[in-house]
Amino acid sequence: MKDTRTVGEILSSQGISRRGFLKFCAATASMMAMPPSMVPAVAQALSNARRPSVIWLSFQECTGCTESLTRSHSPTLEGLLFDSISLDYHHTLQVAAGSAAEEAREHAMQENDGSYLVVVDGSIPLGNPGYSTIAGISNVDMLKETAAGAAAIVAVGTCAAFGGIPHANPNPTGAVAVSDIIKDKPIINVSGCPPIPIVITGVLAHYLTFGKVPELDDLGRPTAFFGQTIHDRCYRRPFYDKGLFAETFDDEGAQQGWCLYKLGCKGPVTYNACAVSKWNSGTSFPIQSGHGCFGCSEPDFWDSGGFYRPLSATTADVGTLAGVAALAGAAAGAAIGRMNRSHRARAQARHEKLTIDDIEES
Amino acid sequence: MSTSLERGIRTWVAQIDAPIASFFTSCVHCGICADACLFFTETGDPKYTPIHKLEPMRRVWQQEYTFWGRLAKRLGFSKPVTEDELKEWEPLVYDSCTLCGRCSMVCPVGNDITYMIRKMREGMVAAGYAPEGLKAATSRSIRIGSPMGVRLPALQAQIKAAEAETGLTVPLDQEGADYLMLLSSAEIMQFSEIISAVTRIFDEAKVSWTLASKAFEATNSGMQIGSSDLAAQLVQRIVDAAEALKVKYVISPECGHAYTALRWEGPNLVGRAYPFKVIHILELLDELRAEGRLKTDGFEDQRVTFHDPCQIVRRGGIVEPPRNLLNMVAKDFVEMEEHGIMNWCCGGGGGVSANERADPIRRKAFDRKKHQLEGMGVAKLVTACSNCRNMLEEGLEDNHLDEDIEVVGLAEMLAEHLAVSNRADTGESTSTAKE
Repeated sequence: MKDTRTVGEILSSQGISRRGFLKFCAATASMMAMPPSMVPAVAQALSNARRPSVIWLSFQECTGCTESLTRSHSPTLEGLLFDSISLDYHHTLQVAAGSAAEEAREHAMQENDGSYLVVVDGSIPLGNPGYSTIAGISNVDMLKETAAGAAAIVAVGTCAAFGGIPHANPNPTGAVAVSDIIKDKPIINVSGCPPIPIVITGVLAHYLTFGKVPELDDLGRPTAFFGQTIHDRCYRRPFYDKGLFAETFDDEGAQQGWCLYKLGCKGPVTYNACAVSKWNSGTSFPIQSGHGCFGCSEPDFWDSGGFYRPLSATTADVGTLAGVAALAGAAAGAAIGRMNRSHRARAQARHEKLTIDDIEES
Repeated sequence: MSTSLERGIRTWVAQIDAPIASFFTSCVHCGICADACLFFTETGDPKYTPIHKLEPMRRVWQQEYTFWGRLAKRLGFSKPVTEDELKEWEPLVYDSCTLCGRCSMVCPVGNDITYMIRKMREGMVAAGYAPEGLKAATSRSIRIGSPMGVRLPALQAQIKAAEAETGLTVPLDQEGADYLMLLSSAEIMQFSEIISAVTRIFDEAKVSWTLASKAFEATNSGMQIGSSDLAAQLVQRIVDAAEALKVKYVISPECGHAYTALRWEGPNLVGRAYPFKVIHILELLDELRAEGRLKTDGFEDQRVTFHDPCQIVRRGGIVEPPRNLLNMVAKDFVEMEEHGIMNWCCGGGGGVSANERADPIRRKAFDRKKHQLEGMGVAKLVTACSNCRNMLEEGLEDNHLDEDIEVVGLAEMLAEHLAVSNRADTGESTSTAKE
């Protein structure tokens, strides 16, 4: 049965006060860097929005993204808002099983053709379709079939957004991201392993409010959340600027809370909102608990050369190669230099002094 | 042997040195130099982008000195530099570049584009593509001894006038003096007050100095037209005179490029180190000030600003001395927004003022200086280069600002405020001031 109540009606039926709802709207608006004047617009739009149909597809994944969303914040407003979308298919959360589950998906697709949202977590194996199937349908077929009638796709988690850990070298299943397969639909990448819950709800809230996808960066991530690096917003940044670094995990610097750059923190090259929104209802985030950032919201983070290797260190043994290359380069440079010098010397030897007569004649 | 395209290209091959090669290699084509050039900012035409003015020489470098360029040349894939191109580039290299050096300051990879233009002109003049006005000035420099055709009798007349005015002797050809003072033709012909000014200042500060009848002209059109051969001849005259008079220092006058020619290029042009030191008049005056030998009385009662001559300040590094000196005599000394090493050129340096063809664009480029002066409320625009002074006077007149702003030479302004001690009439010993 299709529920036609608005989001506002559903929230109030679940005992969420108007005040609590507005607080959520304000938090969402500020997270997305919208001006305060937008809060009423967000509230208005969310209150009146029809529950969009959402089909959640889980492919090669660990269910961590779903865990992140459902557990770590529950029971908060974000969780409840998420409940109040029409989540018509989610094979981890739904009650239905077997053919009934697949029917629910097909039914939702038919009823909301062209207007439903598809959320994907997990990468898609192209090596052999048998690596991951649901009800006998390969992931790639299910994605193509479901995406065909979708209004937009939200790729949740680094696996769906960039291939993630299944895609890591040597990528035995031939795992790829959603954007490698679907080219004709708007795709919002909400990367992270797992992504921050409020980023997921924020993106959905934006979609409900404005009816379109938010502004995206060059990797398809919403700039409101992925516009700055962890490093830019890190509370340990002043130590970096002063050149104060922890050298080991138990030295004086570590105890003083100095910058973890030398211990391999990937914060300077990682775009995400962890340092701002934090985790577990705003309790902490990895750097605050004393460990460097992995860079989990970036493509190929698993292959970027070791979590404890500082960013400025090379990721491969280049010593010998560099030595040989330098020698060869120096030899070639010396040869070319000799050639050029003699070329120049010949030209200088042939130089005839320019006289004022020459100039006056010209 | 007459000038020719082939001779020009051969000159470039001989002139392209390690700095030029590394500058061309380093250029990242960012175009930042465009906004540093007043010919671009005042016209908005991208052909005035400084690095673009070097295109023919860049091609020669590529075809003669790079692996791929040489390969392409051998296989017949590269386009040789043509007469038509040189014709097209001549105004870019001579009319719309004052060698002011502002582009070199902003280049993010540190290319000295001004140095490159200087080398570019070597090939242009050898190929026969140099402006008539500048050729004529160079010709007068070599044949007569001064780009404006000034001869010794003219100087002697001005010396007489200065002696009459000051009641002091202006030393000429005095062997064994410490300092040999040079002048620029513009100073002799238009701004001859400078002769009395330095005579009075040096007399007061007890500086042993002289002028030389064989080398009074400091300017160097050979460098401006871009011929090291001719520039060397002109520098050699000064070196010979300084050596004959056995001076310890040669003073470069209030003339921008004369200082560059004599101080920075000179020893390389003549191929050996000088047995004397070159010092700029502003440096010397600032030294005298620091030693307490230059004292002034009173202050200018109007607001003044300083126009930095590019070759003296930006290219010459003499940034503080003019300001120290101005502060001695001006209470209301204000700086233009962009001043010192980032000043804007008057528009007439690098031989542009000698090139009549460049008049329209030079006058257009003066808009930059006009905008700089707007709203400053200055009554006096002080400078330390007679060429700048000419250009500024002309530009202000064009813009009907000459009634409001007077252009003044710095040394003269100092001389006006010179504190004169009362001396015994013999002039030999300083007597204490009589009440």
